[in-house]
Amino acid sequence: MNIQAWQVILITLIAFIKAIDFYGTQILTFNSIIYGLLTGLVLGDPMTGLAVGGTIQLMSLGVAGLGGASVPDYQTAAIIATAISIASGKGTQVGLAVGVAVGMLGVQLDVIAKILNGFIARKSQAYANQHEFKKMLAILWICPVLIGLTAALPTFLSITWGVSAVNFVLNVMPAWFTSGLSIAGGLLPVIGVGMLLNYMPAKNTSALLFWDLCSPRT
Amino acid sequence: MNNTNIGKENPSAPQEPQEEKKMMLTKKDLRRCAIRWLMGVNTFNYEGQESSSVVFALAPALRKLYPNDDDYIKSLNNQYKYFNVTPPIGGLLLGAGLALEDKDRLKSLNAVQDLKVGLMGSMSGIGDTILWIMIPTIFGSIAGYMAQQGNPVGLLVWVLFTLAIFIWKLSFFDYGYRFGVRVITQLGQQLNIFTEGASILGLTVVGALISTVVTLKTGAVFQFGDVKMNVQTDILDKIFPALLPIAATWIVYKLLHKKVSMTWIILGIIVISMIGAATGIFAK
Repeated sequence: MNIQAWQVILITLIAFIKAIDFYGTQILTFNSIIYGLLTGLVLGDPMTGLAVGGTIQLMSLGVAGLGGASVPDYQTAAIIATAISIASGKGTQVGLAVGVAVGMLGVQLDVIAKILNGFIARKSQAYANQHEFKKMLAILWICPVLIGLTAALPTFLSITWGVSAVNFVLNVMPAWFTSGLSIAGGLLPVIGVGMLLNYMPAKNTSALLFWDLCSPRT
Repeated sequence: MNNTNIGKENPSAPQEPQEEKKMMLTKKDLRRCAIRWLMGVNTFNYEGQESSSVVFALAPALRKLYPNDDDYIKSLNNQYKYFNVTPPIGGLLLGAGLALEDKDRLKSLNAVQDLKVGLMGSMSGIGDTILWIMIPTIFGSIAGYMAQQGNPVGLLVWVLFTLAIFIWKLSFFDYGYRFGVRVITQLGQQLNIFTEGASILGLTVVGALISTVVTLKTGAVFQFGDVKMNVQTDILDKIFPALLPIAATWIVYKLLHKKVSMTWIILGIIVISMIGAATGIFAK
């Protein structure tokens, strides 16, 4: 299906608000499922959105940006992955691979926004010392706009250019590329699990692996 | 400092009435700070970290305390100093700081900064573990698994839970202001034990998910004369079905432990998957 202009605007807006909520109001922080679902609703396929969001949620378990660290933007990844899965009609694995890749790039934008925030903070303090108290507070509103753009820009670019680009690549690329993407989609959750293991005391690791041995596999 | 003098605005804690004039900030002022503090990490920069947001949140309250411009600027410059805390629980700390400042005004500035910097580490240790690791891990693993099956109930429960926290945290400035410094230091010690136990629970839940969440299968085939054996379906599935996912988990765990960047690991996984698909070592 083709994504309509109003759908592009709405999805970009979701991404914009997502980034501000992630750092500010923090109601849906680290919740990828809801963003998959919302994107799915806009595109008329909430079930795909729910499934893609759920998969990305499991991938991202244990990945938390603590102390101002920049981590892959899994929520934006969920938005893009859902949009591309539905729009390209090529299944969720392709959407997941593209979404996660763009989410990784989002980290660079996050760093840039935080550097720009540094200039704004200095300007704000300068206003304070010049007795310009209204300007001191008003200039800080630029910060959430910058943060919003770190998610909105990659989302806008990938859903306007990404779908046709992805379709083109998939039609041209050999089978090993696409099945490689599928395998990577199954394997990538390993990162979140690896992160979690790093938080755990070592003595629990062996118990965990034993549990794994006993669990049935389909 | 005498903490019994903090919290004059609260009717449930009646104290000596002559102190009432001294404490100026009302519950309404503190609620306003809490709402403005929702700016949170949006203003994050690598110098003052969350300091711009602190100024943004506290400015109306500080203006009330310092009608004189020069005093106001002194206090603001103090708040522009380095500060970083888990935003939702930061209100406790900033509220306690306001109580100090309300009591002693400019004389308290050093104490306010010491309080903020001294406690932000342990407060964030608690906040980050509960809010950003425990809750997303426990609710995320359940909700994510249910969502994959097309069931939104887990998601709904999670969103309602985080909404409740959102409403609750708007009172944190008030708590911090009323109970002052004492309660924060006590809370820190007690919650440490709780978070440790709870995070082990959360991680164990996820541990059980390795074999279902991580999928990796080999497509390799052994051939001895006429006997053909698929390594995955004929051998591994019968002896140790999750061997490959566990091996992958172990390798990634070790790489992360050695501080290899997540970007490289993800790129590596994609490249190795493609090589595996091309050579037939891995199968879909």
